Amino acid sequence: MSDLSMSTRKLSPGARAGLGIFARYATIIGLVAMIAVFSILSPRAFPTFNNFINVLNQASLAMIIAGGLTLAVQVGELDLSIGYAASLHGVLVTGLIVQNQLPIPVAILIVLALGALIGIVNGLIVTKLKVNSVIATLGVGTILVGLSFAYSAGVPIVAGVPEAFLQLSLGRWVFGIPNPIIVMALVLGGLWVLVERTAIGQEIQAVGGNPAAARLAGISVDRIKILGFVISGMCAALTGTLLASRLGSGTASAADSYLLTAFAAVFLGSATLRDGEFHVLGTFVGTLIIVFGFNGLNIFGAPTFSQYVFQGAILIVAVGLSSLGRMLAES
Amino acid sequence: MDDLAPGTGTLTAPPFVSVHDISKSYGGAQALKGVSLSIRPGEVHGLVGANGAGKSTLIRVLAGLTQPDGGVIEIDGRRVAIETPHRAGEFGMSFIHQELAFVPGMTVLQNIMLGLPKRHRLGIVDWPAIARDIAPIAARVGVTAPLGASVKGLSTAENWLINITRALVRKSRLIVMDEPTAALSAEESGKLFAIIRDLSASGVAVLYVSHRLDEILDLCRRVTVFRDGRSVAELSGDELTRPALVSAIVGGAVDIFHKVGDAVTSGDVVLSVRNLARAPKVRGVSFDLHRGEVLGIGGLVGAGRSELARLIFGADRPDSGTMTLEGRPFAPKSPAASVRAGLGFVPEERRTEGLILTKSIAFNLSLANLRSIVTSPVLPLISSRKRESLAQRTIRDLAIKATGSDQPVGRLSGGNQQKVVIGRWLQSAPKVLILDEPTRGVDVGARAEIHRLIRELAAQGLAVLVISSEPDELPDLCDRVLVMAEGRMVRELTGEAVTRHDIIAASYAAAQDHQRISA
Repeated sequence: MSDLSMSTRKLSPGARAGLGIFARYATIIGLVAMIAVFSILSPRAFPTFNNFINVLNQASLAMIIAGGLTLAVQVGELDLSIGYAASLHGVLVTGLIVQNQLPIPVAILIVLALGALIGIVNGLIVTKLKVNSVIATLGVGTILVGLSFAYSAGVPIVAGVPEAFLQLSLGRWVFGIPNPIIVMALVLGGLWVLVERTAIGQEIQAVGGNPAAARLAGISVDRIKILGFVISGMCAALTGTLLASRLGSGTASAADSYLLTAFAAVFLGSATLRDGEFHVLGTFVGTLIIVFGFNGLNIFGAPTFSQYVFQGAILIVAVGLSSLGRMLAES
Repeated sequence: MDDLAPGTGTLTAPPFVSVHDISKSYGGAQALKGVSLSIRPGEVHGLVGANGAGKSTLIRVLAGLTQPDGGVIEIDGRRVAIETPHRAGEFGMSFIHQELAFVPGMTVLQNIMLGLPKRHRLGIVDWPAIARDIAPIAARVGVTAPLGASVKGLSTAENWLINITRALVRKSRLIVMDEPTAALSAEESGKLFAIIRDLSASGVAVLYVSHRLDEILDLCRRVTVFRDGRSVAELSGDELTRPALVSAIVGGAVDIFHKVGDAVTSGDVVLSVRNLARAPKVRGVSFDLHRGEVLGIGGLVGAGRSELARLIFGADRPDSGTMTLEGRPFAPKSPAASVRAGLGFVPEERRTEGLILTKSIAFNLSLANLRSIVTSPVLPLISSRKRESLAQRTIRDLAIKATGSDQPVGRLSGGNQQKVVIGRWLQSAPKVLILDEPTRGVDVGARAEIHRLIRELAAQGLAVLVISSEPDELPDLCDRVLVMAEGRMVRELTGEAVTRHDIIAASYAAAQDHQRISA
């Protein structure tokens, strides 16, 4: 890091400003360029209203979980448990509805509460036991994998899933817009207001910016960190629930891959418009890039392996752009 | 080592290192205004001076950590430039600091050899052979830990010995020791002195930097005194006495200070501290802070003043002792609790502890005061209008120079950054404000403004506690000064006695008394 910042210091002011603009707008330019290229290559299938709605619908689940992760990274921690947690929530919510015959809203409230509880556990381990958040949430996440398998015995819960539960993700209850898009808009909008416009949001930003200074300014740093994990956990529960509804089944590991998508989205987002600072709007743009990328690869019938290559590469590019932005902000 | 003549005739031999008229300024502050110093082979040379006299800056220059603005450095009579720490090593100088840096997971031997060329056999580092080479040197210095042991958990004294071994392995001809006994027991210090004498006898020079004048008088045959960035005396032989050292450190001239406002100690007691302690730095402190008073805490660096401030503010928990705030028991569990109770704290390190550098001035100003800038208690949304108007008012009142309230504080000058930290507490209107080194690294103009601001706040009834290591700051600001040494309050100065001269003299005298008692 220090070597790199030395190297940016040698740049002329003009070059640095240019690099700064590149770092801030690279993601948006990339998104527009990608849409343009796909539109030219596939003018019939890609640039249609239906495809765009479809992409946004596909993206909504990732956006919700990535929005939650944004809060965790904003308080300066990483949450690696979200993918496994979302899988567990999917299994559990399906099981509660099918096997325990619970009303759908009750089942959803239970998994949301569980999501919050997982967040509290993560937060307590990190703040009170002083365990590095990467290790803490990886450990908790792995335990959750075990719980998923214990609950479902490894067998997907498919039979007897009520139509009403499927309609949760398939329905278009408001203005013909798919429900996941509505939920996503409410969640991201709520998170944006929380972080950017409330007193607690200011404390979240202060804790992420400099925990030592935040503490001496009279902010309860531990409580804010725990809150970040709780929001991350609840968003994972929401994504897990919607995925189970979309798949029509509870499968132990169905949502695991959301972890990587969410991380790539959050880091891409931090390089968007702001200098390496995590923010909810950026996460929205970051997720769009990734999902449009997948969509394009699908339309062109790219082989499955290419999707992994794409996702890995975009994660590296995202983190690279993010640290470039931070470096320029500091120099 | 053996190729050097045993350290004799050190008072006549040509110097190994000499510096002439070195100057260095940081921003507006002139840390060195022309210091000269020469160290002869095998001599134990003392370097003393009050906080901020320029000792650390000179060490940084010698170590190649910073480049002087002017002056000449000579080694063995040849003029040199020390561009990097690596060059300083090549010139035969080693530096041992108060905070010793080791790689924790490595062994003693690996740490000694860190970054040094090692013997190889078939391309593999030949640790057994290296250990055979190093063992006699370590034994001579008195390292008792096995070379293969991990450095983790070793005592500070042992760490010093390992560092000295490292210096000898590098064939250093000068070892600079900065406050070596600060964290050592009397017995460990005694062992260290024996080793220093042994080094001297074998031709290795030591530059011994310390506040402890007894050690200086005991070990050194020549002592250079710094004051205000100048070398003001070089004492040796019969001139080298305690009174001569103290008077050189303090300076003959007694400054005349203008104090604005009347000395107020008659106000009600706001904060009362009794026997507050936290091992090892704070060892039982009692005092009262009054309404409308600016109370200074003076003393040498390491006396426990910042640690005391953190205890009062709830950033650390005391082992024992009690406090009352406006007559009610006060035992804050966290800074958040202190702030709710009506305290404010301007920490020593504003960049790492005071500010969120990437955020705006308005953001940083509002942090301790978020409750009052929300639209309503029910709907706690931040009102940008309220925040902006408060920020504008603070920027105007404190004359913060910025392009606007949305400018990131990281881009402000040190003085303006400090005003933002202070301004935060003006918005929250505390009863007690604690300022730790309020004008460190701040230019002269901003310093005067911050001083005026602190006095105005006190005039309005705020109780202010100021910690400062700058010799002139407390006389400028305070009605009353408590001098702290080795974790205790040792002197109270009031009225006419609040002078730079008396504060420094009390700091040294007090440390002295305590050493005598404990010896």
